[in-house]
Amino acid sequence: MTQYKNSTRVICGAIAITAFILLWYFGTSGTQLGNIMPGPVKVFRSFARSFVVPIGKYTMLGHAAWSFTRVIVGFSIASALGVVIGLGMGWSRVITAIFKPIIEIIRPIPAIAWIPLAILWFGLGETTKYFIIFLAGFFNVTLNAYHGATSVDQTLVGAARMLGTKNNRLFFAVVLPSSIPYIFAGMQIAITTSWATVVAAEMVRSSEGIGWLIISGMEINDTTRIFTGIVAVGILGFIFATIMREVENRVCRWSKKSDI
Amino acid sequence: MPLEQEVGYLERRAPVIECKQLGKAFPSRQGVVHAIDRLSLAVCQNEFMVLFGPGQCGKTTIINCLAGLEPPSEGEVLLHGESMEGPGPDRGVVYQTIGLFPWLTVMGNVEFGLKHQGVGKKERREKASHYIELVGLDGFEDSYPNQLSGGMRQRVGIARAYCIEPHVLLMDEPFGHLDAQTRYLMQEEIIRIWEAEKCTVIFVTNNIEEAVYLADRIIVLSERPATTKAEYVIDLPRPRDYVDPRFLRLRKEITEISFSE
Repeated sequence: MTQYKNSTRVICGAIAITAFILLWYFGTSGTQLGNIMPGPVKVFRSFARSFVVPIGKYTMLGHAAWSFTRVIVGFSIASALGVVIGLGMGWSRVITAIFKPIIEIIRPIPAIAWIPLAILWFGLGETTKYFIIFLAGFFNVTLNAYHGATSVDQTLVGAARMLGTKNNRLFFAVVLPSSIPYIFAGMQIAITTSWATVVAAEMVRSSEGIGWLIISGMEINDTTRIFTGIVAVGILGFIFATIMREVENRVCRWSKKSDI
Repeated sequence: MPLEQEVGYLERRAPVIECKQLGKAFPSRQGVVHAIDRLSLAVCQNEFMVLFGPGQCGKTTIINCLAGLEPPSEGEVLLHGESMEGPGPDRGVVYQTIGLFPWLTVMGNVEFGLKHQGVGKKERREKASHYIELVGLDGFEDSYPNQLSGGMRQRVGIARAYCIEPHVLLMDEPFGHLDAQTRYLMQEEIIRIWEAEKCTVIFVTNNIEEAVYLADRIIVLSERPATTKAEYVIDLPRPRDYVDPRFLRLRKEITEISFSE
């Protein structure tokens, strides 16, 4: 049954992707559209070449590594701080009262709106990018962790106390573990927004990274390079999401429904 | 054994847990709700006491007060004659909603209490394994609760409460969420477990058949506010038969008392 479903999924996915590429291919070969948009063969050839021949200062792997590092640094700080503040808010009403209003006001501001300010504050270096990516992920993680800590099943708290858990250990014995699925849901959203944000940040001001690759394509009027960058953004984003999902599946195995 | 004699025998022994003139009231939007009204009861060593009462009569509140999870508004709860405050591992609770820690395996759940009381790994593993085997779950030590059926989960709940070796086990409609088939099975099982490892039990239920099947003694509770309406010593031999005429007679009698005004 499961195998049947899996093969159906793979076949349908393959057909859809093939159809999309064919549509792209025929849409751009010998048509008006072809003048402003490169066909898939050209894009994939350029994409493959970018691993060998540097674009700007780096090859594709170099650019990817730059973007990747920026995301990982910003995202890690956002996650660590978000978990601490979010769980803290769930644990103490005073902490909630302090942080909640600020968070609610700052959260709706898109992270990229901070780019000009961040450049004035931190200059053109890496700190600016880390700061922007931190902002992109922080609120998702914080609010999810907060939500997790406030949704703890009170029966479990009662059960832990009944079983002899001291009040000062309830946090690590019950609150933290039962918040983990919520935290991961927040991190899942955060990694996606962080990835989108790093591309935007690199497009604004940078001389390396996938975002730079795209914007440099625009500057020299090279649509193939733009598309190469876009393909890279898609693939790396997919890799990020897959890694996060795998980690989540490992860590939160207990929270998933499973067959007996 | 004649009824009077049996009661006399129980009364001669010092109670393990008792509550005196227990009262509990909650503030609510409709004013103060009285959940329990001057309830007194005493349970002796290794006695299987069933609190039988209608739907929302405040049975869970009684368990919570006995467990120390809610403070009583009036009266007191005594454990071995001493008043107590707050919950503790001297009273094990088995919940209707089961309340297992979903992130821990069966072993992790059962040894949780001992771990938090600072018992060393080897010793608590041994003890936990013993109780896991007692409830018939050997081989499932490394399963997570979401991989188990409802009946198996409640077996874990029972093992977890047993494993802290409490003075009294408080069971709050533990089979309330199980299907009828599993429920019968678990009633047999809980008696088997209790006969293997004697323990003082307070078992709450709204199912008369379950009450008569399990109890040494039944306390019939009134509608809210809950208070004692009648008390029965059940001296039918075990294992009991659901269709034994004496069983059915008791069942009918207690049901009638329970519904009478």
